[in-house]
Formats: sequence, C-alpha cells, structure tokens
Amino acid sequence: MTRGIGLRLFRSTAVRLAIGYATVFVLSSLLLVGFLWWRTAAYLDREVNAVILADTRAIGDRLRDFGLLGAIEAINERVGRAEDARAIYLLTDPALTPLAGNLGAWPLDIGGETGWHQTRLTTRNQLHATRILYVALPSGFNLLVGRDVEDREAIRQAIVDALGWAAAVAAVLAIGGGLLVRRAVLGRVDAIHLTTEAIIHGDLSKRLPTRDSSDEFDRLAQTINRMLQQIEILVEGVRSSSNAVAHDLRTPLAELRGRLESLLRARPAPEATFGEIGEAVADLDRVIGVFNALLRLAEIDSGSRLSGFREVRLEEIAAEVAELYAPLAEDKGVAFRLDAGTGFAVEGDPFLLAQALGNLVDNAVKYCPAGGRVILGLARADDRRVVASVADTGPGIPDAEKTRVVERFYRGKASQGLPGVGLGLSLVAAVAHLHGGMLTLADADPGLLAQMTLPARP
Amino acid sequence: MKILLVEDTERVATFVCNGLREGGHAVDHADNGRDGLFLATTQTYDVMILDRMLPGGIDGLAIIAALRKTGNTTPILILSALAEVDDRINGLRAGGDDYLVKPFAFGELSARLEALARRARGNEAETTLAVADLRMDLLSRKVNRDGQPISLQPREFALLEYLMRHAGQVVTRTMLLENVWEYHFDPQTNVIDVHISKLRQKIDAPFGKPLLHTLRGVGYRLDAND
Repeated sequence: MTRGIGLRLFRSTAVRLAIGYATVFVLSSLLLVGFLWWRTAAYLDREVNAVILADTRAIGDRLRDFGLLGAIEAINERVGRAEDARAIYLLTDPALTPLAGNLGAWPLDIGGETGWHQTRLTTRNQLHATRILYVALPSGFNLLVGRDVEDREAIRQAIVDALGWAAAVAAVLAIGGGLLVRRAVLGRVDAIHLTTEAIIHGDLSKRLPTRDSSDEFDRLAQTINRMLQQIEILVEGVRSSSNAVAHDLRTPLAELRGRLESLLRARPAPEATFGEIGEAVADLDRVIGVFNALLRLAEIDSGSRLSGFREVRLEEIAAEVAELYAPLAEDKGVAFRLDAGTGFAVEGDPFLLAQALGNLVDNAVKYCPAGGRVILGLARADDRRVVASVADTGPGIPDAEKTRVVERFYRGKASQGLPGVGLGLSLVAAVAHLHGGMLTLADADPGLLAQMTLPARP
Repeated sequence: MKILLVEDTERVATFVCNGLREGGHAVDHADNGRDGLFLATTQTYDVMILDRMLPGGIDGLAIIAALRKTGNTTPILILSALAEVDDRINGLRAGGDDYLVKPFAFGELSARLEALARRARGNEAETTLAVADLRMDLLSRKVNRDGQPISLQPREFALLEYLMRHAGQVVTRTMLLENVWEYHFDPQTNVIDVHISKLRQKIDAPFGKPLLHTLRGVGYRLDAND
C-alpha cells in the first residue's frame, strides 16, 4: 500500500519537480559550503603548519651551524621573545629530559612517533588544543615545535557549525520551496483538471479560471478556453442543426408517407395514382436536396477543400455569377448591377466562392420585391482584406434575427412560404470561414447588406 | 445502344436495367467487378455504367484503369455514393467520362448516357450545326434562323451550341450547368430555366414553330419534331 502511494506520489510531476528542486538546491549549497570550508578552516590549518615548519627549519639551521647550544639558544630566544604566546617549543636529550622550551615535560600523547600530531596539552595553564611537529634530531635529541590552536579551533568549529546550520536551513528551504512549487503547480493543474472533468460530464459552459498575469499557465488556460469556446459553438451547431434536420426532413418525409399510405388505402384510378407518385418523387427530391446541402456543408467544414485552393480573381468569379443570375433578376423585375473594379486576388476555391456569391445574389433577388434593386459589389476593406457585398432593397432582416439566419436550417420570418431549405447563408458563412474570412449582415437602409470579407492575396 | 451496367446493388441494377430496356437499349449486367471487367474486355459496348464501389476486389476505378490501359475508349459513366469534389475529380482523372452521384433520377442517367454516346460518335471538328432551319456557324460565331440573323450573348451562344450538339436528345438542367457554366453545385433557384426562356425568346418566339422543348421534371430538348 505504502509503496503504491509512494509510486503514485512519485508519478506526480509536481512531486518530481519538488524533489528535483530540493536536490539541486542542497547540492549547490553543499558545493558552496565545501568551498567556504576549504577557503577558511582548511586555510587556517595550512597557515599554522607553515609557521611551525618555518620555526623548525630555523632551529634546525642553528643546530647545524652552532651545535646543540645554538639550538638551545634559538629556542630560548623564541620563548623569551614571547611575541607569539601560542608558540610551543621543547628540546630533549635522548632520555626525553627537557633541555630547553616552554613545555615542562615530554607529552605522553606524542610517544615515539615523529611527524605531525594533533593533541591537547596544558599550555598557558590550560588544557588547549595544539598542533605539534615532532622531529628526531641527530644523536638521539628530540625537538617539538607547535602552536596552541585553541582559538583557531574555536573559529574552525564555529565555521563548521555555521556551515552545518546553513546546509540544514538550505535543505529545509529546498523542501519547503519544492512543496510550495508543487502546491502552486498542482493548484493550477487541479483547476484545469476539475474544469475539464466537468466538461467531460457535459457542462460545456465551464471555463478555466484565468488571472491577468499572462504567465504560462494563464496563456495555456486562455488557449484551452478558446478551444472550449469553439467546441461549444460546434456542439451547439450540431445540436441545433440536428433539431432542424429532424424538422426539415420530417416534414417532406411525413408528406411522402401520408401520400403513399393514402394511395395504398384509397387505390384511386391509375391516372390519379401516377400524379400522386410524381408528387412523392418530388417530396423525395426535397429530402435528397437537404442531404446534399448538408454533405456539402460537412465537406466545407472538414477543410478537405483547402487542397483545391489557388489564386483566383474575385472579379472574374463575380462577373460569372452576375451573368448567371442577371436574367433571374430581370425576370422578376429587379434591377441588378455588378459593381466591381479589378485587382481582387484571393487565395481560394473558385467553385465554392462562386457558389457563395451565387447564394447571396439568389437570396437578394428572392427577397427583393419587383421594382427593387440588387447590387453585387467588390471593394477593398484595407490592404489585407477584400469585401464582396450584396445589397438589396428587400425587407431586410431584423437585428434579432441577423445572427440566427446564418445558423443551419434557420429560416427567418420573411422566408416563410418561399422555397429553400435554410442552408444558403450557412453555406456562405462556412465558405467565408474556410477562406479565413467571415460573413456579416447589416442594414442597407432599406434592405439587407450581406458582406463576405476575405483575406486578400498579397 | 448496347450498354454495360456493373452495379452490385440489386434494386438499383433492376431499376436501371428496366429503364434502359424500356428505352430500347440492350443491357448487360454484372453484379461484381470481376464479371464486369470480363464483359467489358470481351464485348463491345456503346457506353458503360460502372458503380464505383464493387465487391470482388475489383472496383469501378480499377476496371476503368484496366480498360484505358488496353486502349479501350468506350465512354464510361461512374455511379457513386461519394459526392465530395475530390471523389469526382479522382473518378474523372482515372478515365471516367462522367460522374453521377446516387441517388439520381433515371432521366438524368439516361440523358447523360445519350450525351456520352453522342460525343463518342460525334465529329467535334464540325464548323456548322443545323437543326431544322436554325443554323450556327462555329467559326464566325453567327446564328441565323430561316435566313434571319439572331444576335446572342456569348453564354447564350454556348448554351445553344450545347443544345444543338445534342439535338434530339434530352439535356438536363444539371448537364447544362456543368457543361455550359462549368458549375457543379445546386444554384438553389432554377436559374437555368430563366436562361432557357431568354434563349427561347430569341430563337423561337419570332418564328412560328418552336424548336426548344421543355420536358417537365427532366430537362430540355432541341428538336425539329415536337
């Protein structure tokens, strides 16, 4: 069990982060402590050794030049001078009887071994830490040179203690800091976790909390929120269009079913039967039309048409569309005009753009009363955007309905009784979206102004 | 005409076979790709109808590829439930001559088959077309009827040319939209009807006998006979 929890804890990125943080912090502290130790305590030791060696060498020189008396004299000079109260000297004969120096007797700790010794001796009437160099002189004489290092030992101990404390504090800080980092990270991650969990359970309106710090987490949260927004729109679109599909398909299907069933029941004369069958085929054609329009929208939405993108001249497409629809306007007694210059190059699918412009013109002519006017125009919004607009003098669309008519299958009040399945403007919006543009509807006073804004080709 | 139909859905096959036989055509039917390829390579047909997706490891596009590789240029119409633009382009690129998406009206299929067979027989190098007393000079791009010149807009000329090249045959609105305007989408309102009626004003109205006939629910036919 414990092992399982330990493993799970370790799998948490935050815990790993905290451990890693603490490790790095402690290691760097130890490195710093080691360096300080080397530069201070160890330095003190080295310095004492150097002084002792220099003294020993001087006494040795006097011994060589002036014999035993010279050495005794040198030691006495040094002890008498007493410029360094911490200095320790002792010269003995082979029987370890003191001949000169400020130590009363041969220290037992040192024994018979020459070289460096770290020992505690009574100097200046107190038991002090000392560092002694024991040199065996020729003819069995023995020399001890040393220093009372009690003060330095205290300094050294203080440094070691300080460093120890520093390391301990560093470790505590590291662990604490790691835990804080973990809490901060986990807090944000848990917020994301909770929100996404709520979304999985169907609450698409949830959004991640954002602060105004615009740090990494904030940017991530904002990106995720934008993604959620898009998903919500798509899901809402699917939901409302499924309702609308159901409605738009159910109506012709219900008529079709009723027609066939009453034929079966009434068994009318062959002539009447054929007429009814013809009507049934027309009902079916409406169903097929809805399906085709939906599939085309799905095709556009999927972005698969992007592969067919190339440089197209919007003015040529507009001219062709105008040419196709002009007789329709003429037939209805609507004045139709193409108002385009040249130089409207965009990157896109010419057939989709033609269909989109065609739908806009078709709508305008459809809703424009006889004697009205429809203008298909191209203009540059700025350096980077081209606007294809269709203005009519029809009834227009109330502000409340403007955003809704772009929705799939939505049919405004004005369209009641007119043919169409309510996908025309949705297709225009989808085409504009595919091209990185947008469809906006405004008032032409009177009438409707539909504008398809597209990015211009540089 | 002698027609090969390769279609695995029995009801669709029966519907198409019956319709074509009623129209006086001889139809061979195969319900899988292997038999279809065998018939296509061993018999001679005026036109073939191939379903795109077939059982038996050989689909419609594979049959087309095999036929075209051996130099067989029989016109082929592809039937498919795949309606995306890429599917259509791939079908035509593979060597198909026309592409019809299911579900379709029989009138549409039959009109397209006639057009395909006519194109295969037809002489594209003609310089003049004539239907009754209506004449079109393709070089000078002039049209006259009963000796009187008729002035046409470029698109009207293209529309009339297509109708005259398929004189006596039914052409559907979709065929006109695809071949005269090169659009492959539903223009919502029947704009084609308006263009036809404008054309009719010019070529028929001033001259007693109408040549351009409307076939309700199917399309149009330019014909010297009623």
